[in-house]
Amino acid sequence: MATFIIRRIIWTIPVILLVIFMTFVMMKQIGGNPFRKTERNVPPAIQANLERKFNLDKPWYQQYVYYVKDVATFDLGPSMSQRTRTVNDIIKDGFPKSLKLGLLAFLWAVILGIPLGVLAALKPNSIFDYFAMFFSTIGFALPSFFVATLLIYYVALKWGLVPTNGWPQGFLEFDDRVILPSFALGLFPMAYFARLVRGSMLETMQQDYVRTARAKGLTYRRVVGLHVLRNSLIPAVTATAPLLGLIITGTFIIEIIFSIPGIGRYFINSVFNRDFSVVMGITVLTSLIIIIANLFVDIMYGILDPRTRDVR
Amino acid sequence: MAVDRREAAIPVAAPPATTEHAAGAAIRQSSLWQDAWRRFLQNKGAVVAAIVFILMCLYCLLIPGFWKIPGIWTSLKDYDPNAVDFSQSYAGFSLDHPFSTDKFGRDLFARVAQGGQISIAIGFAATFMILVIGVVYGSISGFVGGRVDNGMMRFLDALYGLPYLPFAIITTQILSPSGSVSVWTMVVALTIASWFTAARVVRGQVITLKENDYVRAAKAVGARWYRVLARHLLPNTLGILVIAIFLELPGVVLGEAFLSFIGLGINPPTASWGSIAQDGREAYRLHPEVLFIPCLAIATLVLCANFIADGLRDALDPRTRET
Repeated sequence: MATFIIRRIIWTIPVILLVIFMTFVMMKQIGGNPFRKTERNVPPAIQANLERKFNLDKPWYQQYVYYVKDVATFDLGPSMSQRTRTVNDIIKDGFPKSLKLGLLAFLWAVILGIPLGVLAALKPNSIFDYFAMFFSTIGFALPSFFVATLLIYYVALKWGLVPTNGWPQGFLEFDDRVILPSFALGLFPMAYFARLVRGSMLETMQQDYVRTARAKGLTYRRVVGLHVLRNSLIPAVTATAPLLGLIITGTFIIEIIFSIPGIGRYFINSVFNRDFSVVMGITVLTSLIIIIANLFVDIMYGILDPRTRDVR
Repeated sequence: MAVDRREAAIPVAAPPATTEHAAGAAIRQSSLWQDAWRRFLQNKGAVVAAIVFILMCLYCLLIPGFWKIPGIWTSLKDYDPNAVDFSQSYAGFSLDHPFSTDKFGRDLFARVAQGGQISIAIGFAATFMILVIGVVYGSISGFVGGRVDNGMMRFLDALYGLPYLPFAIITTQILSPSGSVSVWTMVVALTIASWFTAARVVRGQVITLKENDYVRAAKAVGARWYRVLARHLLPNTLGILVIAIFLELPGVVLGEAFLSFIGLGINPPTASWGSIAQDGREAYRLHPEVLFIPCLAIATLVLCANFIADGLRDALDPRTRET
């Protein structure tokens, strides 16, 4: 087990380097030299100094090494459009808000999606099952910006139950403003979980060991609680990693709609302002999160299902 | 000569690892797709979805510009998707404007249809490119195997670490530095951000097929690798590719809508469903229909594609019926 985990951790290092490299190459493709395209006429000497300060006079592979070093020491450089702030400041400001949004959305998905799937699988083809599957089909198809605006229009504007936008400042502050954004973002993972858990429950119930457990005289409750549930939740753990990517994509949209000052909104604004150090910093950060989540899920999967350890 | 006959008799698209009798292979050739078609027709949800899907495509293709319902729409500007008429701004639902109008008084019935052309065209073009890249990458990886396969899959694993939306946005920015995003830019960006899964699926299929007896037989009688690949392996991935079209399409359509909705997609005045929704966002508190109608169009398309994909999967590969 230890070897598996260590091997898996070591393997993420080249992945991280490759992802940073790809982001780096892409930014080189768009960015060009930020000090060459200003309206002001910068004297050549100052320009050269600026370039030297930011290592832009070095060949690209050295710049890449510098950038990797910077990322490793959590220094993502200055922002190009907001001169007084660094990318670190922006991330420090926006990331906790996005993280909270993502975690709350995930919480919705877990506390509503999984029970929905379990209950639907316990009574297949019942009214409840049809309702749950209808709900998850809808959750699958509706674009998140539609869900979000629909919720704002009805819940916030028409019925006046919650505010339409805004976000509490602190990471641990919660008020009624968090409900709609997190639900709108959580609907897709919720639908996904419900569907996945239902399918895997139904499959697990067909297994021989479940029949054996029943034949031994265990109660239905105990069989479902002990054997079926535990085994059928494994796919849900595996699905967490790809879902995380979707949640990150979703935060970008949801933050725009609900005016939440998270990193997604900073990212989009930075694209409009052509502030590429912020764009790059946020891309690298989200990549790191996805890679680390993948690592975590793989290790969890290895613990939950020992058969998968040998494959890698 | 016998070799050629044997190969010709192998069904072009036999079900993978079929348990059917080997006898009458030539007859089976047509019957796989006929069987699949029959099974598909029995799936009511999928058939309804397919009909709605076709109707939507027809609506998008036929309405903009020249379609006219006699007696209801009286002048050209009523059904021209780009005709501005401020007196008709947010006109609400009526027979003249069955889907209402937007801020500029443009008829949404025509505009949603025109936007649908762009959205669906981007969807199909990107799906096609995703599948082409997926087939090339996946079949090389699966067919060559060994170190090459390992390396190629590890590279793919690394790409999975890239976040979808930022990746797509950066690609559009690279391809159009001036900020004017064209349809082709969108297609390329969405393809680059989402071809990984298709490549994996094709590789998996090729690896499974590689071990089949008929592939071994073909190799044993001296078929070259390219013949094995082109004649035996790729045709048998056709089934999963047909399914993959309808699995990839919703993701691409949604991706395009996301980008357009946040203002980084297709440039106005060209409409796509996402950009119409973005137009509607300005005033959705008073006129929600301008936002909701293109969203409903997207949702309907995604829903139909999901149902069709489910139906096709059940029809083409009855063994792996998913619940």
